[in-house]
Amino acid sequence: MALPDFAFVTPEQRRAQAAATQVAAPPSIGFWKTAGRKLVHDRMALLWLAVLALIVVLAVVGPWLSGQNANQIHVDLRNAASSSAHWFGTDRLGRDLFTRVCLGIRISLLVALLATAIGTVIGTIYGMLMAFFGGLVDELLLRVLTIFNSLPSLLLTMIIMAVLGSGVGTMLFALAITSWSYAARQARGLVLQLRHKDYVTAALMLDTPLWKLMVRHFVPNMASILILDIGQSIPANIFAEASLSFLGLGIQAPQTSLGILIADGQDQMLQHPLELYIPIAFLVLIVLAFNIFGDSLRDALDPRYQAQGGRS
Amino acid sequence: MVKVIVRRLVELAVALFLITSATFFLLAAIPGDALSAQTDNLPEAARQRVYAQSGLNKPVLERYATTMTSMLHGNFGESIADPGMTMSKVVHEKLPVSLRLGLQQVLLGIPLGLFFGILAAIYKNTWIDHTVTVLSLLLMSVPSLVLGLLLQSYFGGKLGWFPILGWPEGSQLWFGGWALTILPTVAGALTHVATYARLLKNSMLDILGSDYVQTARAKGVPEYRVVTHHIVRNAAIPVITRLPMTVAFSITGSVFIESIFVIPGIGQYFVQALNNRDVPIVMGETVMLAALYIGSLFLTDLLYMAVDPRIKLYDRKEG
Repeated sequence: MALPDFAFVTPEQRRAQAAATQVAAPPSIGFWKTAGRKLVHDRMALLWLAVLALIVVLAVVGPWLSGQNANQIHVDLRNAASSSAHWFGTDRLGRDLFTRVCLGIRISLLVALLATAIGTVIGTIYGMLMAFFGGLVDELLLRVLTIFNSLPSLLLTMIIMAVLGSGVGTMLFALAITSWSYAARQARGLVLQLRHKDYVTAALMLDTPLWKLMVRHFVPNMASILILDIGQSIPANIFAEASLSFLGLGIQAPQTSLGILIADGQDQMLQHPLELYIPIAFLVLIVLAFNIFGDSLRDALDPRYQAQGGRS
Repeated sequence: MVKVIVRRLVELAVALFLITSATFFLLAAIPGDALSAQTDNLPEAARQRVYAQSGLNKPVLERYATTMTSMLHGNFGESIADPGMTMSKVVHEKLPVSLRLGLQQVLLGIPLGLFFGILAAIYKNTWIDHTVTVLSLLLMSVPSLVLGLLLQSYFGGKLGWFPILGWPEGSQLWFGGWALTILPTVAGALTHVATYARLLKNSMLDILGSDYVQTARAKGVPEYRVVTHHIVRNAAIPVITRLPMTVAFSITGSVFIESIFVIPGIGQYFVQALNNRDVPIVMGETVMLAALYIGSLFLTDLLYMAVDPRIKLYDRKEG
C-alpha cells in the first residue's frame, strides 16, 4: 500500500504499512536458528540422531537391563545361542555377550569423545594463541605444528601404546597427541580472519583479558566450523581405538571395547560368526550415524550450503 | 620456489629425526628390554656377558649416539628377539609382501573408484548417482579392518571359496598364488573405491557448470570429448595430488589387513617387534615407514605446485 507524499497518515494506516513491510521482509533469523530449523526438517539427520541416542542409552543402561555380570564366566554355557537370559548369547568363556557389547560401546564411545575433546581443546587454544600473537611466536609455533603434521600418526600411536602400556589413559594420550594439530591449523586460520574485526579491536581497547577474548569473541565465531571438525574427529577416533585394541595395542582385558570384542569374535568366526558380526554391526552403526549426521550438520551449519538451501 | 622446497625438506628431515629419537628414548625409558625375558633366570655373570654382547649394558645416551651414527651409515643392527634377522633381511623378505599387497589394492581400487565417480557425476541425480553416493558413504564408514574380517568370515569361512590365511611365498612372491591375495586386496581396495569415487564426483560437479564446459558444448564438441578433455582433466587435480599418500598408506597402513590374514609383511612384523621390545627392528622399521610417509608428503607438495601454480605453499600472509 503506497501512500502519497505529504498525505495525512492515520495511525491505522501506519500500522497497516508496517504490517505490509513485515510481510515483504520477514524478520531476520539468526544463524543458529536457521541451522536448527534446517536440521529439524532433515528427516535423515533426525533418524540417525535417534539411532545414535538409542546406542548411547544402551551403553549406559544396558548392563543394568540385562542383569548379568560382564566378567562372570559360565563354564557350562560356552558359545550359547541367544536366549531369554543371554540376549546375544555368550562368548567362548560363557560370558554374557549383550552386557559385554554394551560395556564395549561405552568404553569405545568414551575414549573417542574424550580424545576428541582433549585434542580439540589443546589444538584450538594453540591455534588461537599463535594467530593472536602473530610474528615470531606464530613463526615458531607454526614450525612445531608443521613438524607434528608430518609425523605418521598411526606409527606414533602404535609406538606410544606399546611403550606406555595399554589402557584407557594411554590410549587417550596417544590419540590426543596425534589429533590436536589439525584443530590448531583450523583455529589459526579462523582467528587470522577474526583478529582485525572491529569488535575484537573494541574488546582489546577495553582491556579485555586474553582468555575472555578467546571465550567470548573467538570461540563463538568459529563454533560452527569447530563442531564440524569434532563431528569428523569422533568416528576417526572410534576407528583408531577399535583397530589398536584389535592388534592388542589398545584397551586390554578385563576391560572391554568394540575392538577387543571384534578380536575375540575373530577367534570364533568359523563356528559362531554372530560373536563377530554383533560388535561389528554396532561399530559400523555408530560410525555411520556420526558420518550421516555430520553431513547434515554441514548442510545446516556451513554458510555456503546454508545460502544455497540444499546439499549439492 | 627452490627456497620453499629446501625449507620443506629441512622440516621433513627434522620430523624424521624427531620421530626416530622419540622412539629410541621411549623404548629406552620402559622397564624391561628385549633380553630380560630370556636372561632373568641366568646367573649374574652370564647375564652380564649376554648384555655386553648386545651393547645393552651401556648408558642410554651412549647407546643413542651409537644407534644414530650407525643408522646414518645404514646399519640398523641385528634383531635381539629374533636372532639372525636384520633390517636388510626385512627389506628383502617382508617389504615385497607389503609392496605387492599395497600395489594390488591401489591398482584395483583407484581405477574402479574413478570409474564410479565419473558415472555418478555424469548421471547426476539418477539412480546411478544415488547408488554410488550411498555405497561410498557406507564403505567409508566401515574400516578396512572390519571389511577384511567380514570378507574373511564369509567368502573364506562360510562359502570356502578362498583360503582364509596366508600369502604366496618363494617363487610366487611377486606373481602367482592369486587365490591367497584376492580377499586381502579387495578388503583394502574397497576403501579406495569409495574415497576416489566421492573425490572425483565432487570435483567434477564443481567443474560441470563452468563457462568453458558450456563453451565447448556450444562449439559442438562431442559429449564424450567434453567429458574426457574438459571435465575430467581439470577435475583430476585433487585426485593426482592425493595419489602419493594413498600409495604410502596402502603399504604402511595394511597393518590391520596383514594381521587379519596373517600376511608376513612389514606391518605385521612391526607389531611383533613392538610387542617384543625389539629395539633394532622397531627403530629400523620406524625409520623406513616414517621415511616412506614423509617422502610421499613431500611428493604431494611438489605435485600441488606442479599441477596448480596458483597454490603457494605456506603462504604466511593470510590474514
